[in-house]
Amino acid sequence: MRVTSLDLANFRNYAALHFEPPGGVCVLLGANAQGKSNLLEALSLLATGKSFRAAREADLVAEGTPLARIAARVHRAGGDVTAGCFITRVGEGARKRFVRNGRTVAYAHFLGTLAAVTFLPSDLHVVGGPPALRRRFLNAALAQCDRTYYRHHAAYTKVILQKNALLKSAAPDEKLLATYNAQLADSGSQIIGARAAYVRKLAAAAREVHARWVGPQPELGVRYLPNPTLPDGDESPGTVFAQLEKALAASASAEMLRRSALVGPHRDDMALELGGVALERYGSQGQQRTALLALKAAEYQLLAQAAGEPPLLLLDDVLSELDAQRRHAFMLSIEDCEQVFVTATDAPETLPRTATTVYEIRAGTVRRAPAAAAS
Amino acid sequence: MEYLAGPLSALIGELEKLPTIGPKTAARLAFYILSAPAEEAQALCRAILDVKDKVRFCSRCFSLTEDDPCAICRDPRRDGSKLCVVAEAKDVYAIERTASFRGRYHVLGGLISPMEGVGVDKLHIAELVQRVPAEGIQEVIVATNPNAEGESTALYVARILAPLAVTVTRLAYGLPIGGELDYADEVTLSRALEGRRPLS
Ligand SMILES: Nc1ncnc2c1ncn2[C@@H]1O[C@H](COP(=O)(O)OP(=O)(O)O)[C@@H](O)[C@H]1O
Ligand SMILES: [Mg+2]
Ligand SMILES: [Zn+2]
Repeated sequence: MRVTSLDLANFRNYAALHFEPPGGVCVLLGANAQGKSNLLEALSLLATGKSFRAAREADLVAEGTPLARIAARVHRAGGDVTAGCFITRVGEGARKRFVRNGRTVAYAHFLGTLAAVTFLPSDLHVVGGPPALRRRFLNAALAQCDRTYYRHHAAYTKVILQKNALLKSAAPDEKLLATYNAQLADSGSQIIGARAAYVRKLAAAAREVHARWVGPQPELGVRYLPNPTLPDGDESPGTVFAQLEKALAASASAEMLRRSALVGPHRDDMALELGGVALERYGSQGQQRTALLALKAAEYQLLAQAAGEPPLLLLDDVLSELDAQRRHAFMLSIEDCEQVFVTATDAPETLPRTATTVYEIRAGTVRRAPAAAAS
Repeated sequence: MEYLAGPLSALIGELEKLPTIGPKTAARLAFYILSAPAEEAQALCRAILDVKDKVRFCSRCFSLTEDDPCAICRDPRRDGSKLCVVAEAKDVYAIERTASFRGRYHVLGGLISPMEGVGVDKLHIAELVQRVPAEGIQEVIVATNPNAEGESTALYVARILAPLAVTVTRLAYGLPIGGELDYADEVTLSRALEGRRPLS
């Protein structure tokens, strides 16, 4: 799939943008703080429903304006679709409204209109960084592959916030705690089931890509580490539910003591290993980067399968962090991609692809670069 | 607004405080009131004062009423075996407008949300637990919103009433009338499937 037009109004530093990106590799060139990442953020938001960096969604709306709009026309194998998002300031926060083919739709129905794999500098810390980064990786990937996942995850997150607030109150009502735990067992077991199935496919694909690059040994291992742990490989919904329910009950007194929700998929992690040993402890930086690229290439393959066609690829400032050989190997592994957006501050090296178009980004404007810069 | 007569700008200022009323609308309303017959202005004043003076909470169901207990609680033709639990008094009016429920109501006064400091003890839940056996209620229908807090509150009410001999039901989730199947999200659709009913 590819985006054939993108319109931004009062989105971050874009007052008004109409951009018709070509297929192939689209290089966004510009000095710092000109709006390169903002443009990728807008595209990514249409795919995942969330900003890849805003802590406060109100920050997406251009300063001094009440409403931001993102609208894209997407060329897909089955025909063109339009995807839009309106972000309105509401008090300190913001509200989003999603539009598909001109109709306002529930977010769960909007998901899947545009599919994109995003690669950010912070992704380099998926290996070795805190577990929250690996959960974020799983959430962004899964929400696009499986629409019901997003709903379960949103429901789970709301109840966790309420449960934590309850545990911090003076005398937590036990029946209310039991109510929250029942809800958490419901949505939490759905999350664990979906993550387990996804990581199994991700592991197989990443292992294969990795072996193609560095040979069969040492083998890349990706394992899901659910909280609570599951009895050997049994991921059937009934077992997961029972296991989570049991773990919630067993940790009830510890949770009361610590005044915080200790058990459940909000504490999940993913183990990354090379030849059976932890990658972040024993792998060199080069090995870690290669493993991460294999993981991203695998994410790309799985999303292409789920979407029925290759998704967009959004690369924000990461290619420059990689050496030429790794960059080349990665680009080859996603060769079927119809459209790639790459940001860079310097003139980019040519990528191993045919069509490359260079645009200059300056203070929220996009202009086709003169031929010299594009060479 | 020094160019406006004092009382007029005072009225505009008061109207502006109302929700959804901006300065333009406030000015339009103020000029309308100024040009309207005196009786109309007096009726409006009286209605506003009466709301503050005479409307209070029903001591049985916590809905809004002029006389306590409220008309619904007093009405002998109401089916006393069925009790509909709602979050707010305005929900009573929403259900009454359908004219398809003939039981009585219980207004909780909000939804449970520890994040916003609304614990169980801030709502009329203890009173509900007393009413059910005292009034011989056989079915409690929980009609809270299908959002996160509404769901938790409904489940909590069901849990707290479980020891009593009463059936607790929840409003069915369904498809919006006039909507299209193909545009419903998966969760709505699967809930509607769960709540399906026989046609014959
Ligand atoms: N809500 C906003 N309103 C106006 N400008 C914004 C807003 N959010 C970010 N910006 C501006 O966007 C610029 C950063 O854009 P970004 O895309 O991150 O830069 P880069 O080109 O380095 O990737 C900064 O100049 C910042 O002031
Ligand atoms: Mg940037
Ligand atoms: Zn009453």
